[in-house]
Amino acid sequence: MKFVNPRFLFFAIFIGMFLLLAACSNSTDGKASENGSDDYPEKSITVVVPAGAGGDTDRNTRTLAKNLEDELGVSLVVQNVNGAGGSTGTRQVLDADPDGYTVLAFHDAALINNVLDLTDYSIADDFEVAGIGILDKANTFMVSGDSKFDNLQDMVAYAKDHPGEVKVATETGAFTHLQLLKLQEEADVEFNIVDAGGAADKIKALLGGQVDVVPTSLGLVQEYVDSGKMKSLGVMSDERLELFPDVPTFKEQGYDVVFDKIFFWAFPPETPDDVVNKFSDAMEKVVKENGEFADKLKGYGVNPEYVGPGEAEKLIKETQNNYKEIYDSSK
Amino acid sequence: MLADLIAGFSTMFQLYNMFLVIAGVAMGLVFGSIPGLTATMAVAICLPITFVMDPSSGMALLMGLYIGGVSGGLIPAILLKLPGTPSSISTTFDGYPMAQKGEAGKAFGFAIICSFLGGILSIFVLILISPPLAEFALKFGPIEYFAITIFALTLISSLSEGSIVKGMLSALLGMFLAMVGSAPIDAFPRFTFGMYQLDAGFSLLPALIGLFAVGEILIISEKKINPLAQKMNTKLKGIGVSIKDFISQGWNFLRSSLIGIGIGILPGIGGGTANIIAYATAKNQSKTPEKFGKGIADGVVASESSNNAAIGGALVPLMALGIPGDTVTAMLLGGLVIHGLQPGPIFFTQNTDIVYGIFAALIIANIAMLLFLIYGMRYFIRILSIPRHILLPIIIALCAVGAFAENNRVFDIWALLFFGILGYLLIKFKFPIAPVILGFILGPIAETNLRRGLQLTDESFWPFLTHPIAAVFWVIAIGSVVLKAWGNHKKKKSLGGV
Repeated sequence: MKFVNPRFLFFAIFIGMFLLLAACSNSTDGKASENGSDDYPEKSITVVVPAGAGGDTDRNTRTLAKNLEDELGVSLVVQNVNGAGGSTGTRQVLDADPDGYTVLAFHDAALINNVLDLTDYSIADDFEVAGIGILDKANTFMVSGDSKFDNLQDMVAYAKDHPGEVKVATETGAFTHLQLLKLQEEADVEFNIVDAGGAADKIKALLGGQVDVVPTSLGLVQEYVDSGKMKSLGVMSDERLELFPDVPTFKEQGYDVVFDKIFFWAFPPETPDDVVNKFSDAMEKVVKENGEFADKLKGYGVNPEYVGPGEAEKLIKETQNNYKEIYDSSK
Repeated sequence: MLADLIAGFSTMFQLYNMFLVIAGVAMGLVFGSIPGLTATMAVAICLPITFVMDPSSGMALLMGLYIGGVSGGLIPAILLKLPGTPSSISTTFDGYPMAQKGEAGKAFGFAIICSFLGGILSIFVLILISPPLAEFALKFGPIEYFAITIFALTLISSLSEGSIVKGMLSALLGMFLAMVGSAPIDAFPRFTFGMYQLDAGFSLLPALIGLFAVGEILIISEKKINPLAQKMNTKLKGIGVSIKDFISQGWNFLRSSLIGIGIGILPGIGGGTANIIAYATAKNQSKTPEKFGKGIADGVVASESSNNAAIGGALVPLMALGIPGDTVTAMLLGGLVIHGLQPGPIFFTQNTDIVYGIFAALIIANIAMLLFLIYGMRYFIRILSIPRHILLPIIIALCAVGAFAENNRVFDIWALLFFGILGYLLIKFKFPIAPVILGFILGPIAETNLRRGLQLTDESFWPFLTHPIAAVFWVIAIGSVVLKAWGNHKKKKSLGGV
């Protein structure tokens, strides 16, 4: 007597288990607390970082998250959701419940993805921006220690005489790519822009002599400067940096190229304002008052800088428009 | 240097650090042995914990996890034909058939000893000649990477049981599946059909455990008799391997370890590929290639020595130049940076205490791994006495947890199901699975580096052939294919003559 084919039964159980497991993970974060934001936060907050563990985005986020825990009194669980240039993680927060328990921590890449039409939503228009906590002002162009270029003028002069010959590494469509497009426009030169991947891959390409110039952040390559393996052509900040006083700016070398990398935090659309504000206040406290936090950032070569919700949203919008202009005029 | 190493050991011999290394190895072994949970995940989970420790203690824990995580994969690979981690894919090819023949003890013995010795050998390479090796690895740009990946893809012919055409189709299927998602470089979405979940493509983990573990479990559950409990000798004595047995594997062990170290050093390729390449090479060079896949110790030796050797290799560019070699070392880099230590060219000379502490931790972790596995062997094997209707669902559940946990995405569980059914169908229609995963891993590396290389050469293909290192790999690649074809031709002829 056979009621059910055992093979079929096994498959049914098998598929059922998948359904169950997939369902489990959704149901836990489904219930938002309905009793207003007075009690917020009353459980742990998930911080989505759309980048891999161990990179500078992850490092900056975790450092701020750790200090925010003391202010908010709950734990912040950092989740790395890597993929598709950050749009996978960004999208996950966009679709999350707007209860204040899921927050995005990311940087300019999210703005650029929108400029390049890789995403159909924008941080300023669709998300509830909680604020900016960290600025990386030490964006720089590096050359190898034995390069014939000692400063930006050398490099630009050479590129003028030899259009398309200077090989500059970037990750196509990333923050550094826009820096290159801007300098090309500003100095009226043409580089051979080649894709070399993320921060570590670019360092490798420069040390291996496959490219001539690598745009990156000084905090990530300080060791190579100290050991004489690399030289900096200057930083893209408004004025010289306290942390790197010997490095001239692009501006003082005659090229008006200024880029700060913005590390912002944003909630899903329709998150209540008082939740956002409460979170933002905690950010302000850490960034402005916490000495230990400031010391940590100093070690990374980045700056603690707080910008509140409204201001941050405006700044992000302006920055994105600026990027759009640079990108459109390069086409 | 010896003094530095002794200082390193004295740091690690502190009770707290010692505890962390050993706990790390134990936890790593658990992660490694569960299909779906990997060394990468163990390190990712524990990374934030190390932020509050001092750097040496943090590294002690992470090194234990790394060694344990890579080694643990051999347990389910041998007992259940399920690779616990990407690093033990080819351990399943011969380890499981050996266990089926009642030689589980021997398979374990070889796997454990080779893991240990391969790991130790690579650590000595790391300690002694990191800087020049790392400098050499820098010579490998996109053009060289492209040549290597094409060479590695030619090994598919050795991984295909029976029909080479089926092997090639499998590899193409793997490459095709890897193309889903944002294209390298320009991020143009391919084959996503407007589903944003597919923008990031399929990740390796759901693909791997789907094809190998879930597919295999579906096959096992079809059979009426439990093949797992089939007259298997669950009592073990000693480690099942004599010194004489091992000496006969000497050259195979050395070659496989060197392959592991070499591939580990090249940033971006990693242990998942190393074990497959070492296995294919061992098979190609063997006098009895027909015995591979049917339970020959050589296969286990090749796989397990290369994957542990890749650990030391992957640490070479990290320690010497601050460039991570794989996902785990990328996280180790993060673990150092958060303490204000930026690995780079002067890291070795400036932070000798931490560097040699890491070396000492690696050696201790390797010894701990050896002891855990040797003493644990007789207990692992009891897994087989668990009835399959209890064991298999647990494994499926763990696979799903693993697929989800890697990127915290529910979508990856669906991807796991998709790859599981795909794996089942492939096995049913007698398509080899290893080429699928090789194509899946190597396809994107080849594509990215081809396109990057063309950017560097102003769209000219000529430099791809003339760069000396690349040229060497092209010659080996073409040579091995021609030899293989010639061998097949001769075999057919002699068969025809009978």
